[in-house]
Amino acid sequence: MKNRTKNIATSIIIIASLFIVNGCSDDYLDNTKVYAEDSESFFNSEADYYSALVAAYDPLQSTYINVLMGEIASNNTLCGGETATNVPGYQQVDDMIHSPVNSELQSLWSLMFGGVNRAAYIIEFQDKTDFIGKEIIIGEARFLRAYYNFELVKWFGAIPIKAEGRFGVGDEKTIPRSPKAEVYAFIEADLKYAVSNLSYTTPQVGRATKGSAEALLGKVYLYQDKFTEAAAVLEDVITKGPYMLETDYNKIFEAAGENGVGAVFEVQYTDVEGASFDCLQCSEGNVAVGFQGVRFTSGEHEPYTYGFSFNVPTQEMVDQFEAGDNRKEVAILDIDAFVEVRKQELLADSDPNNDDDFPRYTLGYEHTGFFNKKYIPRVRSANAAGDLNLTNPNNYRAIRFADVLLMASEANNRKSTPNDTKARLYLNRVRARAFGNTNNEITTGGTALTDAIYQERRVELVGEGHQFFDLVRTGRGTQIPGFSTNKNELFPIPIEEIQFSQGKWTQNKGYTN
Amino acid sequence: MRKQITLLFFILIGFCATAQTINVKGVVKEAVSGSVLPGVSVVIKGTVKGTESDFDGVYNLMNVNAGDILVFRYLGYKQKEVAVLNATLNVSLEIATEALDEIIVVGYGKQKRKDVTGSVSLVGEETLEALKPIDATTALQGTTSGVAVNLSSGAPGAKVNILIRGVSSNTNNQPLTIVDGYEGDLNSINPNDIESITVLKDAQAAIYGIKGANGVVLVTTKIGKKNKAPTVKYDTYAAIQQTSRKLDYLNATEYALVLNEAYAASGQSLPFGNIGQLGFGSDFQEELFNDALLMNHNISVSGGGENSRYFISASRTEQDGIIAKENSNFVRNNIKLNLGIDISEKLNFSVIANYFTTASEGFAGSVLFNGLNYAPTFAIDEDDTNNFLGIEIINPLSQLRNTFGSYNGSGIEGNFKLAYTPIEDLTITSRVGYKIFNDKGRSFTPIQNYGASKVFNTTQSSVYQYKQTSTRVVWETFANYEKTFAKDHNTTFTLGTSVQNDLFDGIYATGINVPNNSYDFADLSLTDPQNEQRNLNSGFNDLRLISYFSRLQYDYKGKYLFSGLVRRDAASVFDKDLRADYFWSATTGWKISDENFLKDSKTINFLKLRASFGTLGNLVGNNLNRSFLSGEGTYVLDGALVDGTAQGRIPNPQAQWETAEKLDIGLDLNLFNDKVSIVVDYFEESRKNLLIENFPVSGILGTSAPGGGNPTVNAGTSKNTGGEFAINYKALDTENTSLNFAYNVTYVKNKVTEVTGGAFIEGGSFAIGNLAPSRMEVGQSIGYFYGLQTDGVFQNQAEVNAHPSQNGLGATVTSPGDIRYKDMNKDGVIDFNDRTNIGKPQADFFMGFNVSGKYKKWDFSMYLYSELGKEIVRNYERFLPNSNKPNYYLGRWTGEGTSNSIPRLTNEATNNKLFSDFFVEDGSFLRLQNVQVGYNFDVSTLEKVGVAKLRIYTSVNNLFTLTDYSGYDPTINGGAIGAGIDSGNYPSAKQFILGLNVEF
Repeated sequence: MKNRTKNIATSIIIIASLFIVNGCSDDYLDNTKVYAEDSESFFNSEADYYSALVAAYDPLQSTYINVLMGEIASNNTLCGGETATNVPGYQQVDDMIHSPVNSELQSLWSLMFGGVNRAAYIIEFQDKTDFIGKEIIIGEARFLRAYYNFELVKWFGAIPIKAEGRFGVGDEKTIPRSPKAEVYAFIEADLKYAVSNLSYTTPQVGRATKGSAEALLGKVYLYQDKFTEAAAVLEDVITKGPYMLETDYNKIFEAAGENGVGAVFEVQYTDVEGASFDCLQCSEGNVAVGFQGVRFTSGEHEPYTYGFSFNVPTQEMVDQFEAGDNRKEVAILDIDAFVEVRKQELLADSDPNNDDDFPRYTLGYEHTGFFNKKYIPRVRSANAAGDLNLTNPNNYRAIRFADVLLMASEANNRKSTPNDTKARLYLNRVRARAFGNTNNEITTGGTALTDAIYQERRVELVGEGHQFFDLVRTGRGTQIPGFSTNKNELFPIPIEEIQFSQGKWTQNKGYTN
Repeated sequence: MRKQITLLFFILIGFCATAQTINVKGVVKEAVSGSVLPGVSVVIKGTVKGTESDFDGVYNLMNVNAGDILVFRYLGYKQKEVAVLNATLNVSLEIATEALDEIIVVGYGKQKRKDVTGSVSLVGEETLEALKPIDATTALQGTTSGVAVNLSSGAPGAKVNILIRGVSSNTNNQPLTIVDGYEGDLNSINPNDIESITVLKDAQAAIYGIKGANGVVLVTTKIGKKNKAPTVKYDTYAAIQQTSRKLDYLNATEYALVLNEAYAASGQSLPFGNIGQLGFGSDFQEELFNDALLMNHNISVSGGGENSRYFISASRTEQDGIIAKENSNFVRNNIKLNLGIDISEKLNFSVIANYFTTASEGFAGSVLFNGLNYAPTFAIDEDDTNNFLGIEIINPLSQLRNTFGSYNGSGIEGNFKLAYTPIEDLTITSRVGYKIFNDKGRSFTPIQNYGASKVFNTTQSSVYQYKQTSTRVVWETFANYEKTFAKDHNTTFTLGTSVQNDLFDGIYATGINVPNNSYDFADLSLTDPQNEQRNLNSGFNDLRLISYFSRLQYDYKGKYLFSGLVRRDAASVFDKDLRADYFWSATTGWKISDENFLKDSKTINFLKLRASFGTLGNLVGNNLNRSFLSGEGTYVLDGALVDGTAQGRIPNPQAQWETAEKLDIGLDLNLFNDKVSIVVDYFEESRKNLLIENFPVSGILGTSAPGGGNPTVNAGTSKNTGGEFAINYKALDTENTSLNFAYNVTYVKNKVTEVTGGAFIEGGSFAIGNLAPSRMEVGQSIGYFYGLQTDGVFQNQAEVNAHPSQNGLGATVTSPGDIRYKDMNKDGVIDFNDRTNIGKPQADFFMGFNVSGKYKKWDFSMYLYSELGKEIVRNYERFLPNSNKPNYYLGRWTGEGTSNSIPRLTNEATNNKLFSDFFVEDGSFLRLQNVQVGYNFDVSTLEKVGVAKLRIYTSVNNLFTLTDYSGYDPTINGGAIGAGIDSGNYPSAKQFILGLNVEF
């Protein structure tokens, strides 16, 4: 009897002890290793801030879509591409038949907010750790936030803003779209902070300077028709900044001209890292460049190589260049002329029966015979990593000194007390370079001068993504085929965003969801 | 003292003891053949006292009370109970012809099939032997109702997926696989080592809690019998494999004509001037496919002594691929040990170890895609140097020549188990299951040039190497108490705990510039140490689980059955406050055939109604609550890449596993002396908290930034409803002749019932530049195809003019010969808002039909498998002007009154290549999976050399497939979003097998 009781007791003890040993407690679950840094416990050193700042610059590379689609939207170019349905989003924007259902516009919206949040991440934690020189990092972060927000306000008008930091889950249902004026005020505040905390020199090539911030601020004023303020801040860039017009217009767009004397702000790209269509924004190269190349089927033709034939300039655009304007050859590639020249060269050099090396290309959709030469792919170095179409290293010359001069010219011409003398001075500096002489100076004033400035902006900056916004902000949108006034000044808020906001955000005028 | 205990025994169990004891002796024989049966368990009923029969079938049992009942048990035979009357008791056992006495493992315990109240399927040794699967999973296809098996690809060593009662989740639909108590996988096991596979399909699997929602596959491997002389088995087979299908594509002449027509239609100059000399041109499929060898050797020894049982086996499988066998093959070696030792009467120890190695070589999936799309006018070895085919299509044979890689894995898995029986009726088991797996891979990418600007070109060579280790240790302790109270109240109580730790560790590295651009030098150590793209990475994961479980099984007179269980799981991979939960289930059964009114029925031998309901979990969503700095923040400063730090995917602090609620109502029926057995089930499953990856959130959250990502959110519910019917008919069953028919059919309907925060989730991809083709949307089945609905082809301009404008689709010119799309929303224009449901990747019905039998020395079997009511998207065409095309284009529209389904050919921009039902095909099929004939030699003359069995057989796998589908293989994976899109999947092989079984 005892034995049995003992047996039962033993059993119970065994079971119980096994359970205790075996089961331990939920504490066991707390000791897992992770080997990963958590976003909310970052910013513990200067290196952390710097590292986050580098990441805030990164989304600038995805502004390739703004430049490419912005140019396509204008009256300078046609969409092009392989077929009519190659990238429907671009095609619709080109034809001004875009609707809130447009994956390219959705990308642009999301990518730019990606930039806003990366910059805001630093600003949100700006007080966590102190170190000498922090105001430079914060200044650059605020410049970047302003840059991204300015892109957003240009494209979409009123947008949600959050001064304290990143947007969080649910903010889309509670934060309204701030009116344009508030957005601009927000951008101005960020830029003013940047202007007063940055200097004209930078610790590393590629980072924003005081000049970058001033030039962008000038542009932001110009977009609000605040001409007096624009003229003042742009005057600073011109007179106090270290910038000059690059004498050779052609050099600007070649590799040798990157970050040159006229570069007020450039988006940096390289081709040493690979990329794929799965994540275009992950590319360290300028995706827009590959999109704009000639569809060569015969390989490379120094100095150019192949691409996807998007964003092709129209004859009307090409005709805008005056006789003697050296910029035409730099901005526009006439493919038939190019092929003919190469054929003649080859025929002179080698066996006339051997036509293997003749340039050949297939016709893209909406072929005009012209390509955006400033940003078509150049033959690449041995270090270039593929997919080569997506990793072209051409920096985007975001704010060139010529742009600053033309903005200053316009601001002086259009401000309440115009200074046409100064306006002509700046305008003619740009023209003197374009023609290589001073025989083509503009001498008019008033609105004739205004028109001359507009025209100058178009030809000076063709292919660089500015024309659509210049037309819209100056009330000349109807020059764009298919443009509807009171609608196409802004692009529609992507339909998905309207749905996410669950009624908090309404659609832009003229668009139906 | 001892007497007191014995007395207590008898009091407790309600038996009257007489004072007199006797020694019982006897021989146990097989009823039909009369041969002796060694290793039969002989136990006095209601006690643990017992013995086993020896080599001669003789048993001895001392001190037995007259009137005691002896229970004789032997696997595969009907249990027999005989009362002791005198000192000699000879017994003959009958083979368990009906499966009702089969022992079913149900997780931390066993049950007789007749007492099971859940929905269970069983696949035995004989099925595995007949089907000769390389991966044992394949043996479930068509043989078990409610279970669908899909090959991810026909490539050697490719993963085989199991779906139990359909697709419920977007994340993971794979069932939990438990091998002899440890958590493992079927693909590392030698199928010859398997005794049986049990599939738990309903809420009964809730004993596995957070891991049971996709069903549970329980594998029991073989072990020897006690007191049995060693049995040596040698099995081998060899097979010739061929592709089960080639696709009909245009030959060179057809191709040139078709291209010329397309060019002419768009006003371009013709690419082919002289067609007469082109002939058939090159057939790249012919070059890619080859006959390939499959070999298997298997040897095993099993047996047992007085206190031990063992099983040892070794096997090797070598399989070459039917495409480019130099570049695709698979080898698996297994060594298996199962050992059970009775340390004492009360203590049993067993060890199971399965050591396996695998090696494989594979190639990029795009080889077949290139093989189909490459122009037949090119010579076999000719590269498209002039970019005639665009930048994405290259010579598949050149591609293969540049493919170098290897994969090796090795592991050991099994468990150590101690079972202790301190008092009668109580068994305490403590076991440690383990699986340690190491694998490594190496792939070499040489400098390649397939012609100007091809995307496959690489300008520098690289080698990628990795090593991974995963370790799983599960320590489980549980007690089973089995007791009959007051004669009729049979009770089994289980209480247990489980602790699990899964560790994963991997190192990955890429080196650039391999010396001599050669695979012989493809090692990291030889690559350029200064290269910026040299890359080193690592991965780590630590998963821990703590669980407690308890189950009560009760029946009254074996007639009214009930069980209830609960399990608590806590997992480390969720937020601390959300990581634990309870899962439970209740099952009940009523053996109607035991009731008086049916007891004597001649027709109905067995009838049981059963029902189950409960909740189970699907362990997914790991670590989604954490916010990692895993984003990409690289920028160019001072002309060089600088890596910054950015947030990765948005965290979801609320993330949890998925939860299933399962209901099953079933009926088991045996008729006509058990000749006919029928199992019918109705089931419903609601899968809640479905994890939706990449859950769309507002762009203002910045998830599009490089390396960012949308959160994964528990935001959906899907419901599977369906039924199963299985019937088995034993037409003949005598010593010399047998004939058996088995048929099963399963119907499953999936419907998404909730998607929080949005109308739908989309995914998958079709061709290039198309909108996502697959959706998860309320009211539709998960992953259904969403595209345009065609309505024939415009025959003339009048028809074009009469139809709403299709310009909203992109191409602004519609001509006769173009596809006419339906205006689904009746708004007078055709645009992407007219997309609609045009199919789904999951089958409505899947069924199996099996026939097996023997006649004298001959045996034969046949297994058919069919899926009905699923669609497949044909996505292996690259729509470029010059890419080769399927030969259905020969039936294209060429003028009024010609085709009304296949559009005209042109290089102009058209809307014909948009995702529509033109590209969605019926994927229903019927496949003869296996047909086999075997012959058993008369071994009487060979007995002297110890041969007990000698059988040769020949069989064919995948002999034919009846289907309307035009792609390679309609068995393509039927998963969730993005499934069922065929981009040129590696087809299943047809295998002609010759094999030999010898037993000593």
